[in-house]
Amino acid sequence: MGYLFDPDNWRWLFSGNNFLFLLRGFWINVQIALVAMVLSLTIGLVLALLRVSTRRLVSKVAGLWVDVWRNLPLIFIILYLFLVMPESWRDAYERWVPGWFPTAFQTPFFLAAVIGLTLYNSAVIAEIMRAGIVSLERGQGEAAAAIGLRHWQAMRLVILPQGLRRMVPATVSQLITLNKDTTLVSIIGIQEVMRHARIVSATSGSPFVGTGVEAPLLQVFLAVGIMFVIVNLTLSRLSRRLELRERRRTGVQVEKVEGLEDQLALQTSLSDER
Amino acid sequence: MSELWEVLVRHFPEFRSGFLVTLQLVAVSFAIAIGVGLFVGALRVAPVRWIRWLGGLYVEFFRNVPLLVLLSIAYLGLRRAGIPIGPWVAATASLGLYTAAYVAETVRSGVFAVGKGQIDAGLALGFTYGRVLSQIVIPQAVRSVIPPLGSLIIAMIKNSAIIGAVFALADDLLKEARLIGSATFQYNEVFFWAAIGYLLLTVSVTFAIRAIERRLVVRR
Repeated sequence: MGYLFDPDNWRWLFSGNNFLFLLRGFWINVQIALVAMVLSLTIGLVLALLRVSTRRLVSKVAGLWVDVWRNLPLIFIILYLFLVMPESWRDAYERWVPGWFPTAFQTPFFLAAVIGLTLYNSAVIAEIMRAGIVSLERGQGEAAAAIGLRHWQAMRLVILPQGLRRMVPATVSQLITLNKDTTLVSIIGIQEVMRHARIVSATSGSPFVGTGVEAPLLQVFLAVGIMFVIVNLTLSRLSRRLELRERRRTGVQVEKVEGLEDQLALQTSLSDER
Repeated sequence: MSELWEVLVRHFPEFRSGFLVTLQLVAVSFAIAIGVGLFVGALRVAPVRWIRWLGGLYVEFFRNVPLLVLLSIAYLGLRRAGIPIGPWVAATASLGLYTAAYVAETVRSGVFAVGKGQIDAGLALGFTYGRVLSQIVIPQAVRSVIPPLGSLIIAMIKNSAIIGAVFALADDLLKEARLIGSATFQYNEVFFWAAIGYLLLTVSVTFAIRAIERRLVVRR
């Protein structure tokens, strides 16, 4: 405990550019998370719609795809893509990537990271959205059909607006998981906050390249952890606020969802079998 | 196609040992997660405000911090600080404490599902708080807690793969797959079988939980 809170072990935070350097690494994580979030939400919605398609074959194939990717470890997917990505893809990416992209995005392995994050998270989000769609009472779909809406019209105008709204808390907790999971890309060599942390700790104590103030690994990683806690807590508070406002506006009691990955999806998939 | 089978047959011992290590990692971490999670969950529903706050602090920290950061703190940070912590302890403690936060939340929501009225009724009858929890709340809460605990085990199986991927903490399934892959360069075949291994674990847990839930569930 003494070691943990000893002010001498925290002086690195305020010396030189250490803190700024860590923040800059963290910003890379945030950017990766944002790119992956946009892709996962879009592709997740498409997968969810395919999953509830009235064509059996389409829904079965989409179901298999979703079940495989969401049941594999994310780090497994990222590492696999990293190891087998063809040379031609890397070259194509390097030729395509615009110069104004952040440096960490310029390496071809960024492609493996983003594809991996998207494959996994779009599958999980698809399952959450599907759960939201099938959780609506059947009467909603039947009423839409009764007033003459086609399948896609009913989906777009009646089912999705209600179903997706219900799934906001579960989706946000998955986005928080995604945010945490961006640290995994450090394993394939992308320069983000985990790498920056090791660099701060390795160089800060040196009088030549650093500031001469020791930066113990324990404290550096703790600082990184606190950055994540702050951002993720803000995210979950924001979604809670949104949920409460929505409830006040519509008067609908939204079922509260605890921040458990897959929990809701699992429960709903159980209940629609009964 | 024959190459696919060849890889499995030739490297079966490695695949099997990796599979078993993953299983052990998950089993030990789950035991830690349940123990700590029940304790923190009890703090979260305690009748004293500052104890509840303490439980909340635990949950909010461990739930929002990346597992990789916890592993780095446990393995790199504590070692540098002079605490000789072994790779297995660092790995299982990190995964266990991380999941414990989710277990605690599950416990809390299970207790809330039982309802505060029953707690008050028990207290009014003169039970101590501990006896109210152990004899009235927990027997009922267990039922609603089973499905989310199942998805926590699944998340844990997936998260355990991080352990083998960094700092060489344990020779789990993913680590073995990488080793075989780098020796044979047959990454597609090797990762195919490793994926089958992980899917075997996660999918069988899904089915097991479904079966248990069908028995336990109370239809109201």
